[in-house]
Amino acid sequence: MSSLENKTSSTWLNSDRRRLIVQEYGIFLAFLLLVGILSVSNQFFLTPGNISNVLLQTSINGVLAIGMTFVILTRGIDLSVGSVVALAGMVSASFVTSSATAGVAGAPYPMVVALAVGILVGVGCGALVGFIVSRFSVPAFVATLGMLSAARGATLIYGGGKPVPALSPEFRWIGTGSILGIPMPVVLLAAVFLVSWWVLTRTRFGRYIYAVGGNPHAAKTSGLNVSRIRFLVYVISGALSGLAGMILSARTGSALPQAGIAYELDAIAAVVIGGTSLSGGVGRVTGTLIGALIIGVMNNGLDLMGIQSYYQQVLKGALIVGAVMLDQKRNQGV
Amino acid sequence: MKKLMIALASATVLLASSAMAQEKLKIGAAPYGLNAEFMQIWSAALEEHPAVKNGEIELTVFDGRYDALVQQEQFNTMITQKFNAIIFVPIDIEAGATAVQAAHDAGIPVVGSNTRVNSDLLAAYVGSDDTVSGYMEAKTVLDKIGCKGNVVIIEGPIGQSAQISRLEGNQKALAECPDVKVLEQQTANWSRAEAQTLMENWLTSHPGEINGVIGQNDEMALGAIEAIKAAGLNVGDFAIAGIDGVTDALNAVKEGTMTSILQDARAQAQGALDLAIFHAKQGDYKPQSDIWAQYPDMPFNDGKDKEYNVPWTPVTAENVDKLLDMRK
Repeated sequence: MSSLENKTSSTWLNSDRRRLIVQEYGIFLAFLLLVGILSVSNQFFLTPGNISNVLLQTSINGVLAIGMTFVILTRGIDLSVGSVVALAGMVSASFVTSSATAGVAGAPYPMVVALAVGILVGVGCGALVGFIVSRFSVPAFVATLGMLSAARGATLIYGGGKPVPALSPEFRWIGTGSILGIPMPVVLLAAVFLVSWWVLTRTRFGRYIYAVGGNPHAAKTSGLNVSRIRFLVYVISGALSGLAGMILSARTGSALPQAGIAYELDAIAAVVIGGTSLSGGVGRVTGTLIGALIIGVMNNGLDLMGIQSYYQQVLKGALIVGAVMLDQKRNQGV
Repeated sequence: MKKLMIALASATVLLASSAMAQEKLKIGAAPYGLNAEFMQIWSAALEEHPAVKNGEIELTVFDGRYDALVQQEQFNTMITQKFNAIIFVPIDIEAGATAVQAAHDAGIPVVGSNTRVNSDLLAAYVGSDDTVSGYMEAKTVLDKIGCKGNVVIIEGPIGQSAQISRLEGNQKALAECPDVKVLEQQTANWSRAEAQTLMENWLTSHPGEINGVIGQNDEMALGAIEAIKAAGLNVGDFAIAGIDGVTDALNAVKEGTMTSILQDARAQAQGALDLAIFHAKQGDYKPQSDIWAQYPDMPFNDGKDKEYNVPWTPVTAENVDKLLDMRK
């Protein structure tokens, strides 16, 4: 049984892998093309300082988009990430603020406490959504739409609608510090990417995620605990949203109740541009990273050239639809 | 005996207050949304108005949730429930006019506060002139850089009334310094995170060229400061200004990294409430808020005026501690 299962899954992977390589290659070429155009048209684009800026500006969306990739691979969607960013950012900030009015009793605590709290808030939101999706078969769109609203409300209740200022320098280090000249948010994005890449390509859990998204009924019949896997991907997305929320507040120096509004859209855009299929089972975290970089590079390049941000939105829209159109065409070709 | 007296006294108070409750004026406040600090200070100030505290009026605050239609429906609710007056902070200058018209038709006076509505049916308006603050903040930046060099402008959402007026003020000040060049001018939608990204990119495309940053609100000025710090530059080498006087900005002024101009939410709210009660009682009312004494330049004038301009207060090293204390 187990050898048979392995055989079918490996041939299934093989045909898909070929298609994926083409997809990834295509998106990578598009990325290089964009970088090429911007390097030629703007003298500052390819300077070390600007490359560091682009990576820094991509880090939060990158972390969110990687979490979103796990969810979308199982045919789900997570609309709540922006609100969870705000909630986790605010709750964790209240543990490291030196403001007498905005902090919890005994604040500021050491950074690790805030980090643990922020991740836990994210995990909590993700677990609640995952539980509702996997146990009650509520569509992910609806469950996470509910969390989008609830987590935003909880953020406003928790902070009384006010920002949490004056975060400890130790905590701010995760947003403004650097290791060997590499900004901390970029280091965190790299770590999240490597671990996620390893989980999705090298572990059994990763293969199960693809199996659940590719064909949930087949996955269930072959004995996989489908609802457990569905539950866990939302927990992963929630935890990464929590991390992103802390990077954001550490960067801006203050946790704001309006933080992260519409961040879910950029995260979904990065996943889709990166070639992950919204119908599940197909896609790669490498593609997502490149998708996030494309969005970051485009926004940065247009800013450098002094082009109004409204054009950036139009271009991003065209890019999302264009990427999926190419994807569909290629799928029909295979 | 003593106990009996107390019992009698409290019974009288109870009776009196229940009798008063029937006579109580019902005033509704319709701010555009309660998610940001400014409108929170505004609505908290309403609750602290003497007429609310001593139970003279019954105040209800409706959260407009940044949606013109939601605000319109809240007006309908207030009309059906026969409110005596409405304080209105519209999200949109045009869409708000329909709501004002409906209240006017029902005979309910509407007093505008903070943001404008394109209607001549308002009983009065209490706000601050954004072109003045736009001029003042640009002037502090230009003075600091000695009327020469390069500046960038970080704008609010294009088309919002505050963005339009503050830009008008910015440009008026810039016209007085023809040698100053505006290197970049873009929106960051009042957002600190967006302004931070924008400034990071501008510091790259104009290395060593930017002398001043005109942020049309405090949040965006604060985002620019974070970008300058992150780029390893000295914030003291830049002249940076914002508007509103949010708490984080007050702290930044105290550190000496920026200048800000306080928009007095408390005066706008309490002034509007005094005028709402005045019009609900058809003139049989004396204002109770201390803001009229605070701003001798803005006299109540027996409620006759259509427009009350709350003066802007530049936040300085001298007054910042006092302003911060008021926030606690």
